[in-house]
Amino acid sequence: MIKPDNPVTLPTQAPTGPHFSIPLRFRDRRRVTILLTLMVLSVITLSTLPLMMPTDFKLSEAVVSFLENIKIMFLQPSLTNTSFMSLLIALGQSILLAFLTTLIGSVIAFFFALASTRRLAPTALILGIQSFMAVIRAIPTVLWVLIYSVVFGLGANAAVIGITFHSVAYLTKVYADSMDELSPDIIDTMQAMGLKKGAIIRQAVIPYLIPSYLSWTFIRFEINFADAIAVGAAAGAGGIGYQLFMSSSFYFNFHEVGVMVYLIMAFAIVLEVISYRLRMMTNSH
Amino acid sequence: MLTVKHLAKSYDGEKKSLTDVSFSVRPGEVTVIIGPSGAGKTTILRSINQLIRDDDGEILFDSTDMRQLNRSQLRRARTRIGMIFQNYNLIEPLTAIENVLHGCLGTKSNLAGMFSIYSADEKQEALKLLEKVGLRDFAYQQCRNLSGGQEQRVGIARALMQHPKIILCDEPIASLDPKSTITVMDILRNLATAEGISVLINLHQVDIARHYADHVIGINNGQVVFDDATSALTDVAVTNIYRKDANQEGSLMYEL
Repeated sequence: MIKPDNPVTLPTQAPTGPHFSIPLRFRDRRRVTILLTLMVLSVITLSTLPLMMPTDFKLSEAVVSFLENIKIMFLQPSLTNTSFMSLLIALGQSILLAFLTTLIGSVIAFFFALASTRRLAPTALILGIQSFMAVIRAIPTVLWVLIYSVVFGLGANAAVIGITFHSVAYLTKVYADSMDELSPDIIDTMQAMGLKKGAIIRQAVIPYLIPSYLSWTFIRFEINFADAIAVGAAAGAGGIGYQLFMSSSFYFNFHEVGVMVYLIMAFAIVLEVISYRLRMMTNSH
Repeated sequence: MLTVKHLAKSYDGEKKSLTDVSFSVRPGEVTVIIGPSGAGKTTILRSINQLIRDDDGEILFDSTDMRQLNRSQLRRARTRIGMIFQNYNLIEPLTAIENVLHGCLGTKSNLAGMFSIYSADEKQEALKLLEKVGLRDFAYQQCRNLSGGQEQRVGIARALMQHPKIILCDEPIASLDPKSTITVMDILRNLATAEGISVLINLHQVDIARHYADHVIGINNGQVVFDDATSALTDVAVTNIYRKDANQEGSLMYEL
């Protein structure tokens, strides 16, 4: 047996060194700024809350009547003025409004996205389209509908065009972002084989884009459904939003409001299930 | 076949990535470019089909200078230059046969590309090429379900669909296991020998180069330091190709 020159002696206890707390990040300016902003906002909120309270306001009474209304809406839903069928038709109108605007919007947005992705378009065009779309996005959908209702009058026309307008701006942005994520190598490869641009888009860009295209379009459909309800009330575009507006603000019939809320919720659940299935489908292959 | 003369390229305008590279590739030969990382191997390969625009020199492919072509001429010239990549660069959501058929789209109309219109002959040929690389049974598999070696073979079939005169291979085996490496290199070797296609390969593995190449070009620091038949690639020559210049020491950390 060979004896080592320096026999190794194991330490009997774990070595104890000086304890430094090792930071995981630098204390950079960005984090300080975020922290300061949050602190300022908290101070403003806390100082405003007492000032906001109206003077002749009895909290206990208000809470009781609020709960009373909630009870009427959710526990005693019933129809008096309108028939269930007419509500279903109104819901259908809202759904169709959302569907139509999403469909038109996604087709138009696809072409704008092609013209504003880093992979395929010149920088000037990208900047132009993206900043124009950013301006459109900055203004909420309901406002666009109101702006268009100046031109077309209150009603469904203004709603369709207004919601489509905002959808195009939104979808252009998200489609272009998904296209930007495409590896530049893929485009290089297609160009190295001498493919023309149309062929590259169809054969290389679209196959990679389909899953995100579907999921973003579906998200936009959900947004458009919510907008369709809001616009129905605000711009008289019809649909369940208009019915909701009439029952709650004109007739104060909270029983009916309850029915409508349940209807909308039921449809929202259906949407959620469909979007889940869709995601599973596109992820599986 | 392909002659490169005095090629020069600089990415930032100061440091030269290539300085005066000249070599030629003969038909039916496997030519391998070896050299340390960052020596400019990929730049040379991508300059040939002008994926990278070089600064100076001449690239004569079939006696036309690739550098002088306008956009549509360049596009047409590229249809006869196959290329395969380290990362295969297949369209992964599509099937193997769809990827192979992309090879013939360069010579077809934009409309055919946009609606995936292929003639029966083209589809027949694509299947034959897949059979040739041993993947006939995988024709309708999505490429994302194939292994690396299989993907690279689809890549070769796609390049062959172009009826190329030359195939450029940018480190084709860098991401492959030893068995797939041999399969892929055997296919490439066979293309040169049996079909007279020129094959130009960037490699890191000197032993593979010795085994498969007819001709070896050694690149160091943007310059050709070796250009001879494989039999002349002695150990001394290899050491010379991979030597470090004094002015390269600074970039050692980066290369490790």
